[in-house]
Amino acid sequence: MSDRLESAVDRALRAAPLRRAPASLEERVLREIGRRAQLPWWRQSFSRWPRLARAGFTVTCGSIVAAVLAATGPWAQGGVWAAAGAWSAGGALSLPWARSVLTLVDAAREFEAALVRAVPPDWLYGAMAAGAVLYAALFGLGAAAYRTLYLDSHSAGDPQS
Amino acid sequence: MRAYQDMVFSTAARLAGNDAQAEDIAQDVFIKAYENFEQLRTDPAAGGWLKTVATNLSLNYLTRYRRRWRLFSEESSVPEIAVPDAIVSDLSADQRQALIEEALRRLPPHQRVPLVLYHFEDYSYQDIALRLGVSLAKIKTDIARARAAMLPMLQSQGIEEAGE
Repeated sequence: MSDRLESAVDRALRAAPLRRAPASLEERVLREIGRRAQLPWWRQSFSRWPRLARAGFTVTCGSIVAAVLAATGPWAQGGVWAAAGAWSAGGALSLPWARSVLTLVDAAREFEAALVRAVPPDWLYGAMAAGAVLYAALFGLGAAAYRTLYLDSHSAGDPQS
Repeated sequence: MRAYQDMVFSTAARLAGNDAQAEDIAQDVFIKAYENFEQLRTDPAAGGWLKTVATNLSLNYLTRYRRRWRLFSEESSVPEIAVPDAIVSDLSADQRQALIEEALRRLPPHQRVPLVLYHFEDYSYQDIALRLGVSLAKIKTDIARARAAMLPMLQSQGIEEAGE
């Protein structure tokens, strides 16, 4: 029976004519193309950027990636604070703004250490557990809403569902 | 665009099971076509390109919006598809088409999508399993259930051998 059913379904579906596209589709497409054409070049797709801008962007991104890779050594060895120290010791802080950044990093490091000392570990574990429970509860609530509001309306034949 | 808009919209609507989303998908397809206009204008396979893009965008839409709910929304039971009381010969071509489209739309996505890919898009079972990232056995089961769910509709159209 399954072969006959397959061929029957195949025949019925293939015999079905194409759906007629909504009359609004063409107008929507033309309007969207017009809207996109009005956008400045940097908000259009990358392939439509001017050649020079594309080259500059590629070089900039490549430089950032190279810098991150170069910084990976000290980061991997001693973590973020050791990396900052190595950066400082390496003479990278001759610029005023870099010194300000290091001051901020130091302050953040001290704040983190004080926080870890002040808060009992049980509190941290409790907070993480509470976060997980809240996440699960929200996920369950969302799923229930989806089943109730979306699937029920879908099975009722609502074309917008 | 006029030559292909029905084909693109049909592909999207049958996969997405939702006309509003299908229109959004069709719009994206034609904007992509516009971005590749120079390449497509002389390409005799432009229709195939549009169909492939429509299929891919529809599947992307389904993956993006429904993956997280799959656990909650898949139902093992076969949905009951309503069939009008009218005798087969009483149904006009439009009514038959509406019946088929409604039957497709009422299938759950995990049954409708493989069924559409198999019967409309000529994907093999293996290709569907690969494209949707599920097992071959599940694809075969889902398609079989989808066909079974469409049985009353087929019988109403007088395709008697379907039920034998």
